[in-house]
Amino acid sequence: MTIQMFEKPLGMRDDFPFIAKKKAELRASGTSIIQQAGYDLLQTPTLEYYETIGKISAIADNALFKLLDSQGETLVLRPDMTSPIARIAASKLLKEKMPVRLGYYSNVFRAQKREGGRPAEFEQMGVELIGDDSLYADAEVIILAWNVLKKLDIKSSRFVIGHTQLLQLILQDFGLDSEQIEKVHATFVSKNSVGFESLANQLPIEPSRRESFIGLMSTSTVEEWQQWIDPHNAKQNSLFEDMKKLKKILDRSGLSDAITYDLSFNSHMTYYTGLVFEVYGAGSGFSLGNGGRYDGLMKQFGLQVGATGFGLRVDRLLEIISAVPEQENHTLILFDELSEDKAFDEAQKLREQGVRVTLQFAPAVLAVDRFSGLFSKVLRMEGAN
Amino acid sequence: MDALTIAMPKGRIFEEAYELLVKAGYDLPKELDDSRKLIVEAPNENIRFILSKPMDVPAYVEHGVADIGIAGKDVMLEHDRDVYELLDLGISRCYIATAGMPDTPMNEVTPRVATKYPKVASHYYRGKGEQVEIIELNGSIELAPMIGLADRIVDIVSTGKTLKENGLVEYEKIVDITSRLIANPVSYRLKQKRITELVEKLRKQASL
Repeated sequence: MTIQMFEKPLGMRDDFPFIAKKKAELRASGTSIIQQAGYDLLQTPTLEYYETIGKISAIADNALFKLLDSQGETLVLRPDMTSPIARIAASKLLKEKMPVRLGYYSNVFRAQKREGGRPAEFEQMGVELIGDDSLYADAEVIILAWNVLKKLDIKSSRFVIGHTQLLQLILQDFGLDSEQIEKVHATFVSKNSVGFESLANQLPIEPSRRESFIGLMSTSTVEEWQQWIDPHNAKQNSLFEDMKKLKKILDRSGLSDAITYDLSFNSHMTYYTGLVFEVYGAGSGFSLGNGGRYDGLMKQFGLQVGATGFGLRVDRLLEIISAVPEQENHTLILFDELSEDKAFDEAQKLREQGVRVTLQFAPAVLAVDRFSGLFSKVLRMEGAN
Repeated sequence: MDALTIAMPKGRIFEEAYELLVKAGYDLPKELDDSRKLIVEAPNENIRFILSKPMDVPAYVEHGVADIGIAGKDVMLEHDRDVYELLDLGISRCYIATAGMPDTPMNEVTPRVATKYPKVASHYYRGKGEQVEIIELNGSIELAPMIGLADRIVDIVSTGKTLKENGLVEYEKIVDITSRLIANPVSYRLKQKRITELVEKLRKQASL
């Protein structure tokens, strides 16, 4: 295979100046909200061990970029931020400071098999709140995600919330074993109603409860969840009470119209163990991000603590944030050998006043008119006058 | 009322699905005079139809330029796209099957299979533990066994007439196919009320 001069590896993208600029602004406003909420930003290595982060990350094996280091160990380009942060939090350094609030803005890598243009490297912005298993932690990260979206001026964002553990308990109540539950989960993850209903007919569910079982797929409020809660099951009841409290907190924070409580909502990321949510916004056909509780992931690092967080896809946010048509003040000074001193002084003076100035040696410009057109103001200082 | 964009396959499935929507009580334009139009508006319902090749419907829906779409299960199996499958419409019923010349065993050295559905075919033969070479064709699949390009074909069978006319016989049935109502995951959440309402209305019609 010959590689063309301008080709890039599959899924890699150049950020042209205007995108890089938009990204920098997005990063600044997003991370400012995250820091305001008491989170400390951090950065983790680009390369991690396949044996640890690679396997724990819950990203499909064939989506990992793998390479070997000089000792022959298999490395991966970090596929997500949650597992590296869990690793850090579980290390000695931060263990004593629980609960710890960490935020990040980082690129992650996931190999793409399908259509050429999908990004294999993209930025994520998010937080992890580790060491708090209360519902207040869950509420905090949802509200924070909401506030970040609000700050970025994203219209009609919508959250869908589910609960992995509660769903698991309810499915067990229908007398399903773990293999059957896994099949049901798969149809829930892809919201495959057709597959779910035909599966429901094959599963050994009491005929009197079949209709109730099929109803699992179509809930949108917490109140609707009640019908599947067994009043004699203490665990189910306490989880359900937590959901009701969570809803109250979110309503109070002004999110009441922006949330769908879908009991069947589920993530393909297997490390989520409690509340899970996904974020959508008008203008993108793909979800903007997701989050949830992942106590199980912490356990893999040998720590029995609660953890919850969210991550937003920067590439998708960029796509839908309203482009503010800004008239930037950018001055061009064209000079030649005779006006060199004066032009340098003028540029210095303007820059000190906060003006963005490009200083250009005029004879080096091929097409002066076209080049000048890129600027809001042009000072021609050629000649000795 | 949220505007709804529906991607529809051109041709027979479109007519069947359109009729289903009218029966479900949607106020759509009676006459579709110009059949070459790619976009059809139904202003009374705030619905816009995009007419595309059947194979392309899931792509439109996955990217969200269409909120919902009607796609054959065959296309969905072949192009694994991230869309929600909401309802089996029960129309355009057919199935995917293997076929070939009568009484011919598969070639033992290089068994070849010609198909428009390479992924479905490869999945099927791998599941049976048979190693075959898949040849992807875009049409007139029946030709392949007749001229010796392949021992078997994997293709859609609705009446079996085409097979018979070309002297082919069906061997194994792989999977039943009907048209499905699919939705973009984001649209499903942002326009949930309208989409759920549509699903319920169509469900009543589909089950009749």
